[in-house]
Amino acid sequence: MTAAPTQASPSPKAADSAASYGPAGCAALLILLGSGVLWLVAAGLLALISSIQLHSPGFLAGCPILTYGRSQALAESAFIYGWFGNTGLAVALWILGRLAGEPLRASNWAITGALFWNLGLTIGLVGIAAGGETALPMLELPRYVQPLLLAAYAAVALGGVTAWTGRRREVMFASHWYAVAALFLFPWLFSVAQVMLLWYPVHGILQAIVAGWFAQGLWTLWIAPLSLAGAYYVVARMAGRVLPAYDSAAFGFWCLLLVGGWTGGRHLIGGPAPAWISTVAIGALFVLLFHYIVVVLNLRASFAGGGISMRFISFGVAAYALGGILDAVTGMRGVAVFTQFTHFDEAQRQLAIQGGATMMLFGALYFALPRIVGRPWASGGLVRGHLTLSALGILLLVACLGAAGWTQGWALNDPKTAFSAIAGLTHSWLLGATAARALLLLADIFLAVNFFWTLVCAAVGGEKEGAA
Amino acid sequence: MKSGPYFFVGLAAAFGMSWAGVMWSEAQLGRLAPYYDDIESASFPNRMPGNAAAGQLVYRDLGCASCHTQQVRRPGYGADVARGWGDRQSVARDYIFQPYVQLGWSRTGPDLTNLAGRKPAAPDADSLMRLLYSGQGGMPAYSFLFEDREVVGQASQYALKSTGGLTPAPGREIVPTERALDLVAYLLSLNTTYDYPEARPVPASGAGEKPIPASGGEIKPVPASGAADKSVPASGGGGAK
Repeated sequence: MTAAPTQASPSPKAADSAASYGPAGCAALLILLGSGVLWLVAAGLLALISSIQLHSPGFLAGCPILTYGRSQALAESAFIYGWFGNTGLAVALWILGRLAGEPLRASNWAITGALFWNLGLTIGLVGIAAGGETALPMLELPRYVQPLLLAAYAAVALGGVTAWTGRRREVMFASHWYAVAALFLFPWLFSVAQVMLLWYPVHGILQAIVAGWFAQGLWTLWIAPLSLAGAYYVVARMAGRVLPAYDSAAFGFWCLLLVGGWTGGRHLIGGPAPAWISTVAIGALFVLLFHYIVVVLNLRASFAGGGISMRFISFGVAAYALGGILDAVTGMRGVAVFTQFTHFDEAQRQLAIQGGATMMLFGALYFALPRIVGRPWASGGLVRGHLTLSALGILLLVACLGAAGWTQGWALNDPKTAFSAIAGLTHSWLLGATAARALLLLADIFLAVNFFWTLVCAAVGGEKEGAA
Repeated sequence: MKSGPYFFVGLAAAFGMSWAGVMWSEAQLGRLAPYYDDIESASFPNRMPGNAAAGQLVYRDLGCASCHTQQVRRPGYGADVARGWGDRQSVARDYIFQPYVQLGWSRTGPDLTNLAGRKPAAPDADSLMRLLYSGQGGMPAYSFLFEDREVVGQASQYALKSTGGLTPAPGREIVPTERALDLVAYLLSLNTTYDYPEARPVPASGAGEKPIPASGGEIKPVPASGAADKSVPASGGGGAK
């Protein structure tokens, strides 16, 4: 554990060549990454639509498939399962493959799994639009696609698990822990949640308790670990030395794993669920601060710069830690009474998921793709544009939603303020949030164009080399 | 951290512990029974009528919970009671007969826990239909739940009694679909009328005769066992209803 994480990658230059993945491994990674990028653009477009609907309720209201309740669910599902599922899995597989020092095994399983994952997700989104929504946060997909998604996930994750069990060295590094944890924890969470909520629903208010446990678990035990795996790997490789305070990394990891699942009650404060559930969640949010401190200490090398990946990751680490602090602060009952049920909640989610996890994943993606296809990104300008627009978009989005939520929270607590007045108070902030969504969509389009352009260049370049 | 098997066991243990927390709440609430009131010779809450249960599915698939909660927080915590959303806090027992609990996570629109019991005036079916058809304030219109059709023979008894700008063209009528009728039946079933012992606020400190539980102003936990609730508990923090 105390060994230098950089030793993990056997002889860097040779290991980075595309040939070491085998054509099937390469194809699996590119299918996952490509679908992830496409879903990101789709999710951005859907999020823009639902953001417009918040301040202009008439927008697309006559269109049943995109009424606000559905457009919001579509955007969230496309983002979590489409963008995060695909890209996060690809990054985890790639890292585990690199750390194993062997070509990916079970690549054909991964290809099949990736195709079925995306097929299942597409069916699920059509299902939501057609009226199959479950109205459970982060689990909106209709239940009939969920077993398919679970099986597809298992097929993809197999490659990562075999890379982990078959690694040449016994020692495990921080990126190992996070990647392996994410690979195993998702199917457990997802299967328990779908059985307890959709196949054999539990009784009454327990549904809300299980749903809260799943939504927070998905964030702390899957999304966050996937992006941290990428961040730890890239920062260690780029820094080229043992990460600072690396001895405490394991404590940070186990803190997240042990405590993360207990934060599920943070949205049930003051509600009809037993009070101990939210009290435990508030305590857990404060204990988690230790995890955030460790992550910042470990990854602070990213703030020193050193390439585009490091700049994405440094933004991500800062947003991730800030999100953790905000979660703890707004968990306190005296603050929650203002922020609960408002746009502030959404601001926190966006800060953590868009600002924290997604930016770290972008960093890993910018680092990984050139090493997978064996050539640099096609356009440096688009990369810089993506970074600038993403950073601006996230800052604007979080600021506007935060301000809207804070205003809304105070107004909700004043019984004399009517809902039409609250809509008036938050209107301009929500317009700002829509502008931010547009910026983020543009940023995502930059990424998508650059990604596929790079693939085309690699394919054309490869053919030329073959011909010569 | 070198050993794979130990690592895996650690993962499973970490996951299992938080799941055990969920199962603990299942043990606490999983068999929560209706409350039988000897004086009224009836048990509460009531089961949902069939069309209301169908309406809850419409509420669910349209994602109404994206903007509306169905939970009243205790008096003094937020303005829920002051806004007239209910006379008491919601408790776990309110939800035991709901197939899909719609607690909600956002209050872009008002809470709907007691929509059918709003004071001073609860909305009636006609006003809810008009609201759904045309939208209002921040709420979008759900006109796709209605059919704008030609009057053939006698006008439909369900046709919207529209006024002003919403009046359909002559010879036409706006008729709610089955889904709209179910949804409105559901909305009109939302009313938590009964005052369970566990829903009464714990008396504030210094109020008096009874010993104050250590949790002060905290929500009073729901009794764990359903079977024990058949008789009116004397220790409920208040007398019989």
